[in-house]
Amino acid sequence: MKSEEEVMSEALVRIFENVVLTEEKSLQAGYFSDLSIAEMHTLTAIGPYESRTMTKTAEDLGITTGTLTVAIDRLVKKGYVIRQRDTNDKRVVRISLTRNGKLACRMNSKFHRVLAKHILSGYNEEDRKHLLALVNEVDVYVAQQLRRYDGAVNVRKTAMEVAKDSKKENE
Amino acid sequence: MGDSANTDSRREQIYNEVIRILSTDLEVSADEIANDTILNTELPFDSLQLYEFVIDLEEAFNIKLPDEMLDQMKTVDDIVSLIIRLTEGK
Repeated sequence: MKSEEEVMSEALVRIFENVVLTEEKSLQAGYFSDLSIAEMHTLTAIGPYESRTMTKTAEDLGITTGTLTVAIDRLVKKGYVIRQRDTNDKRVVRISLTRNGKLACRMNSKFHRVLAKHILSGYNEEDRKHLLALVNEVDVYVAQQLRRYDGAVNVRKTAMEVAKDSKKENE
Repeated sequence: MGDSANTDSRREQIYNEVIRILSTDLEVSADEIANDTILNTELPFDSLQLYEFVIDLEEAFNIKLPDEMLDQMKTVDDIVSLIIRLTEGK
């Protein structure tokens, strides 16, 4: 018999993989089959309303602006994103969604809402509240684990600075 | 009296614009749509057309209609009331 840890760990990995896989398949079968899942997540990060800066969007996606620039080039060519210079500060590049980009973004958000709605519909109100509270706790815990690695990057940066400083001292 | 006439004319203006957008997006005659027409069941919407309609409404009235609000839009009258509420003071 599997231990509780094994059941939990396997279910977590499977849920994550299956949600992504279902999303990918629904994309391929739908109106926006020319979009990859990563591209769809980029559109979602930009959002259907106000334009956003490249820097802030890259930050939200956890990627460098260089990586985002490559992705945005492709999405501009495919007709999902508009790229413009900020009217007040020409150094700043702003990105926003075209009508097709907005449609893709909203259809994808609908996919997630329908999935959530179907999962919740199997429970009564009390169980739904309980389930949401538990899912929220898991979410908070996993986010905390992720932040530990944000710290690791800082530690690494600090270590590199220390190494640089010691090098200077030795020179 | 004057205020009420203004409110009625504003409602009518918004209603006509909603009907125009709806009939264009769905390619149906405006005569087939009434104030109590139920969007989900009485009009030939698929999800993509629904969002096309929503985006057109957002652009025409300069408003935001996030998914949570769409649940309140059952009939054409509901849409008109929602738009009036969202554009108040604009």
